[in-house]
Amino acid sequence: MSDYSYLDELESRSVYIIREAYWKYKNKLVILWSMGKDSTTLVHLARKAFFGKVPIPVIHIDTTFKFKQIYEFRDKYVKCWKLNLIITKNDMALKKDMSPKKGRFNCCTALKTEALKQVIEKYRLRALLVAIRRDEHSIRAKERYFSLRDKEFKWDYQNQPLEMWSEYYNTKEESGTHIRIHPLLHWSEIDIWRYIKKEKLPSVNLYFAKKRRRYRSIGCECCCQPIESSANSIDRIIEEIQNSRVSERSGRAQDKEKEYMMQKLRSLGYM
Amino acid sequence: MQDYLNIAVTGDVDSGKSTLIGRFLYDTGSIADAAIEEIKDVSQRITGDFEFAYLLDSFEEERKSKLTIETTQAFCKTKKGKRFIFIDVPGHQELLKNMLCGSSYADMAILVIDVQSTIEEQTKRHLSILKFLDIENIIVVLNKMDLVNFNEDVFRHTEERIAEFFKNIGIRYKYFIPVSARQGDNLIKKSKEMIWYKGLSLIEALNGSFKGLNSDVFRFPIQDIYNIDKEKVAVGKIISGKIRKGERIKILPLNRVNKVKRLKLFNQNKFIAKAPMSIGIVLDDMDGLKRGQIICKTKLPSVSREISAKIFCVNKLNPEEELRFRCVTQESSAQIINVNSIWDIATLEKKNSQDILDKTNIAEVVILTDIPVTTEKYKGFNSLGRFVLQNNDSEICAVGIII
Repeated sequence: MSDYSYLDELESRSVYIIREAYWKYKNKLVILWSMGKDSTTLVHLARKAFFGKVPIPVIHIDTTFKFKQIYEFRDKYVKCWKLNLIITKNDMALKKDMSPKKGRFNCCTALKTEALKQVIEKYRLRALLVAIRRDEHSIRAKERYFSLRDKEFKWDYQNQPLEMWSEYYNTKEESGTHIRIHPLLHWSEIDIWRYIKKEKLPSVNLYFAKKRRRYRSIGCECCCQPIESSANSIDRIIEEIQNSRVSERSGRAQDKEKEYMMQKLRSLGYM
Repeated sequence: MQDYLNIAVTGDVDSGKSTLIGRFLYDTGSIADAAIEEIKDVSQRITGDFEFAYLLDSFEEERKSKLTIETTQAFCKTKKGKRFIFIDVPGHQELLKNMLCGSSYADMAILVIDVQSTIEEQTKRHLSILKFLDIENIIVVLNKMDLVNFNEDVFRHTEERIAEFFKNIGIRYKYFIPVSARQGDNLIKKSKEMIWYKGLSLIEALNGSFKGLNSDVFRFPIQDIYNIDKEKVAVGKIISGKIRKGERIKILPLNRVNKVKRLKLFNQNKFIAKAPMSIGIVLDDMDGLKRGQIICKTKLPSVSREISAKIFCVNKLNPEEELRFRCVTQESSAQIINVNSIWDIATLEKKNSQDILDKTNIAEVVILTDIPVTTEKYKGFNSLGRFVLQNNDSEICAVGIII
C-alpha cells in the first residue's frame, strides 16, 4: 500500500508539471516519444492530465535504425490512444548514409539532435516534454524540471535558473531558444516499472527476457546490447532491478564510448 | 506516514558532502557497478585515489576542481524499504542560488562540518537559508574524524563550539554525529574506532526522522479550466486536505459558495480525493472560474492586496521596480511598498533599512499586489504561505514567506 501512495505522489507531481507546460505553451508544445518505457509512461501521464484526449502532438525522432518491435508498438498505440503523431527524420544525413559506422557521437548528433533541431524549426516549437529521469545518469541528475536550451541547443549547466518547491519554474525564453520540460525527473527506474504494473500499461516486448536475454533500455538496434536476464514479466523485472547493481543504460553504447561523452552529447542538445 | 525523506546535505567547500553521500550510497548498495567502474577509472587518472565524491560530481569541471557546481539528487533505498533522496547542494558562495533551489525540496537537512575547521561564512549562509525555509530537523555531522585519529576530545571541543554557535543564531539541531565519510565510520555501521561514541549512526538518525504528512485544511489552487465532453472542469493539485462529492466549498477571492458536483479523474470514479492528488473538479456553477482562484473549505486563508513577508533576495532588488508576485497559480503585478528591516545572511546583523536590497539579503517587507491574492501564514510547508517575486525578465529574483 505504501508503495502505491508513493506512486500516486510521483504521478500527481508529473501531471501538475504537464498541465503547467500546456498552460504556458499551448500549441507550441510537443511530447518526445521514443516508445521506450519512460516516454510511454509520459504519454500515459498526459492522457491522465487531459482525461484521455491528449491535445499535445507526439513526436517520434526516427533514426530508421530502431527495432521493428518499436515501430509496431508505435503504430498500434497511436491508434489506440488517438495520438497526434509527427514522425521526423534527418533526411539529408540519411541520404549521406549516416550510421554508427561514422562514429556513435556523430550518428547520435546527426540523427537525433539535428533531427530534433529541424522539427523545432519547422513547427516553431517553444517547449518539449522529455521523459528523462535523474537516476539514469549522474549528468541527468543535475537537470531542472524546466531547462532552457539556447539557439545552438546548448545547455548552460553552470548557470541554471532557480526552481522552488516544485511549484515555481523558469519560463524565461528568447526567440530561437526552447525549453525542455522533464515531468519524470523525480522518478527512478523501479518506480516506472511499478507504475506500469499498477496502471497496466503496455510495453515493447524487447524489455522481457527471451532465451535468457532482455533489453533494459531500448533505442537503435545497432547501439543496444541486451543484458543476461530471465525476467520475463513485469514482476520479475521489478525483482531483478531490486537485486541488481548493473546500471540501466549499461547496454547503451553512447553513454560510455568516451569519458564525459554523455556530458558532451547533452551540452550539444542531446536528450 | 510518508515513506521517503528528502534530505538536503549542506556544508562548506571541502567539508566532504559529496563524499559522504557517495559513501552512503555505496554502503547501502545503491550504486550500479558500472558507475563504480567509471569512478575507479576517472579517479585513477585525476587523483589516484578512489573518490566517492565523483559518484555525484559528474561534470568534468566538478571532478577536476573538486567542487560541486550543480545540485544533484541521488536516490537510496535501504533494506527496510525506506527511501532517502539526498540533495547535494553546492557549497561555494557564487552558487547560493543552487543551494536555495536544492534546499527548497528538502524535508530535513544534514550539515557537514570538517571537525578540524571553524565555521565559515558559507555554513552561516546555509544555516540562514535553512532557517528561512523553516527546515527545523537538522543533523550535524562532524566529518574527517580519521584525520584526527578518531580522538574524542577533538570531537567534544568542536561540538561545544558549534552548539554555542547554533544557540546564538537561534537554530536547533537534533543530533551530533562524529563520522569519517571516506572510511564509512558511523554512516551505516557503528565505528569500531570510536567506541567512546554512544549515540546514533547516521542511518539510525535518519530512520528516526520520518514523520506524517502535515496540514489537513482543504486547499485547491485552480491551475486551468478544461473543456472535457462539453463540460468545464477546474484542474489542479490538492495541496492539502481532502474533498468529497457533494460538499460545499468556497472559491477565493470570488468569495462564492458552491457545491462539488463531480470529481473528475481519467478512467476512474471517485467520491473522495485528497492531497497530493492532481484532479479535476466540476462545481454546480462553473461561471467565472479561472486559474489563480483557490477552492477552500473552512479555516479560510486571507484575501488581501497587502502582504507582510520575509523575503530572500536572489538578485539585487530595486524596490521601485514593478515585480511579478506568484503564489502557486496566482499571479499579480506587485511592488514593495515598505522595507522594515534588512539582514545580512552571513552575519545575521541588521543593515540600515534604507539600504538597497542586495543579493543574498533577507528583508522584512510589505508588498502591494495589483489584484487581491489569497495567502496564509507560512508554517513550514504550506504552499499558500510562500511565494516568489519575478522581475521583468521573468526570472525569480526573490523568494518569500508570509509572516
